Amino acid sequence: MTTLKIEQVSRAFPARQGHAPTLALEPIDLVVGSNDFVTILGPSGCGKSTLLRIVAGLDRPTSGRVLLDGREVAGPGADRGMVFQSYTLFPWLTVRENIAFGPRERRISEAERGKIADGYIHRVGLSGFENHWPKQLSGGMQQRTAIARALANDPKILLLDEPFGALDNQTRVLMQEMLLGIWERDQKTVLFVTHDIEEAIFLGSRVIVMSARPGRIKVEIAVDLPHPRSYKIKTTPGFIMLKERLVEEIRAEALKVAVDA
Amino acid sequence: MIRPLDPVTSKQRAAYGFAFFVLFVAVWAWATFGGYVSKTFLANPLTMLQEGVELLTRHGFLFDIGMTIWRAVGGFVLAAIIAVPLGVLMGAYKPIEAFLEPFVSFARYLPASAFIPLLILWAGIGELQKLLVIFIGSVFQIILMVTVTVGNTRRDLVEAAYTLGAGDRGIIGRVLLPSSAPEIAEILRLVLGWAWTYVIVAELIGSSSGIGHMITDSQALLNTGQIIFGIIVIGLIGLVSDFLFKAFNAWLFPWKLA
Repeated sequence: MTTLKIEQVSRAFPARQGHAPTLALEPIDLVVGSNDFVTILGPSGCGKSTLLRIVAGLDRPTSGRVLLDGREVAGPGADRGMVFQSYTLFPWLTVRENIAFGPRERRISEAERGKIADGYIHRVGLSGFENHWPKQLSGGMQQRTAIARALANDPKILLLDEPFGALDNQTRVLMQEMLLGIWERDQKTVLFVTHDIEEAIFLGSRVIVMSARPGRIKVEIAVDLPHPRSYKIKTTPGFIMLKERLVEEIRAEALKVAVDA
Repeated sequence: MIRPLDPVTSKQRAAYGFAFFVLFVAVWAWATFGGYVSKTFLANPLTMLQEGVELLTRHGFLFDIGMTIWRAVGGFVLAAIIAVPLGVLMGAYKPIEAFLEPFVSFARYLPASAFIPLLILWAGIGELQKLLVIFIGSVFQIILMVTVTVGNTRRDLVEAAYTLGAGDRGIIGRVLLPSSAPEIAEILRLVLGWAWTYVIVAELIGSSSGIGHMITDSQALLNTGQIIFGIIVIGLIGLVSDFLFKAFNAWLFPWKLA
């Protein structure tokens, strides 16, 4: 049973000459239960990525703490898999070697990690591309590999920071279905950051809406749509009602940012 | 019509490159055969070739070439063995960089050729002194450039590796090194080019063999044909070593070209 607890986590960036410190995150509380799929939705600059990086251990909170199964997060680790928005495959490794990176770092035997990598290559639909270099892959294929690489460590929680943000619309929809399919089958705890409203509803069991400057949780909305979900769900009345509501919430925040800037 | 950034085929590229060599020799031949430049100052291409053949067949010039190559490569390899690991450490660990970087930056500007009198005093006029000149000329340059390259490793790749459970050794061995390796190979190729210059300078003073020594001897005899032949041989060696290094790098890092 995996529980992620975010307790009063805030983040301020130190003052630059003549300016007050920037408060990127107001103290935030959030609990993510086992096999929960939580999407964090917010306009750019609301600190949602900062929050995810703090959970990953790549950034330190100014106050508060993050607990994973009761243990405080002190730095990055293999128990929290992360997928970034930018393409972060190791260019000198093939698809298969990229996916086997984590297992190799954990001293798993070559035969065993080969088996793990092949399993995930199949699951993300990259059979036939095992020995390609990242440079030879499309953006969508690179992100599939990145997801497989994060899953290959069998992390307790999967963190995704706008992983499909750089992809074209058609590819993005296919990737959402693939990710949701994996989650429905394998049951994973997932924290997914996005600024795309449809994406947040389609994937999430809960949508956390964040407000901008300083970032804080504005509202939390449960998504009571049945699983397994297919792309067709996006035109159902239930989906559209949720979307309307979230559009209003986000629009208010986006306006705030636009006026500030 | 030539348009900006339009590519050329590899055949065209080779033809254009060759054409300039032809033009260069043609201008040289025109200036010397036409009598526009005195023979005392500049030999014509034919004389140069004759002198070259004589050097190779009668004066054992092949041995001199071998000595020069061995000194340049020897000094360069010594420098690389010390400088690359040090540069990697400095690039990876900022306190080590802060400790050594100012001194290395200073030492980089010390002219290797100015050390020759000191090195003769310390190491005599043997092979060790020649190697040391090239070593001093190369080592600080390699350290600094490798430090910068390793320090510029993409941060997002390092972060990705951390979230995959990599420790410090994993970060250095499996991210910093492989991501910098092609750049480091390019740095070594560049510095080997400079090593060919240092080796000749080292051989001009207090040497009894090598291309540089031959050139000083020829100067005493006002034999410009031999001098030019020696210079051209150095150029050719440089060109060949550069070509081999490039081919080796391409073979070593297929992911870069894929």
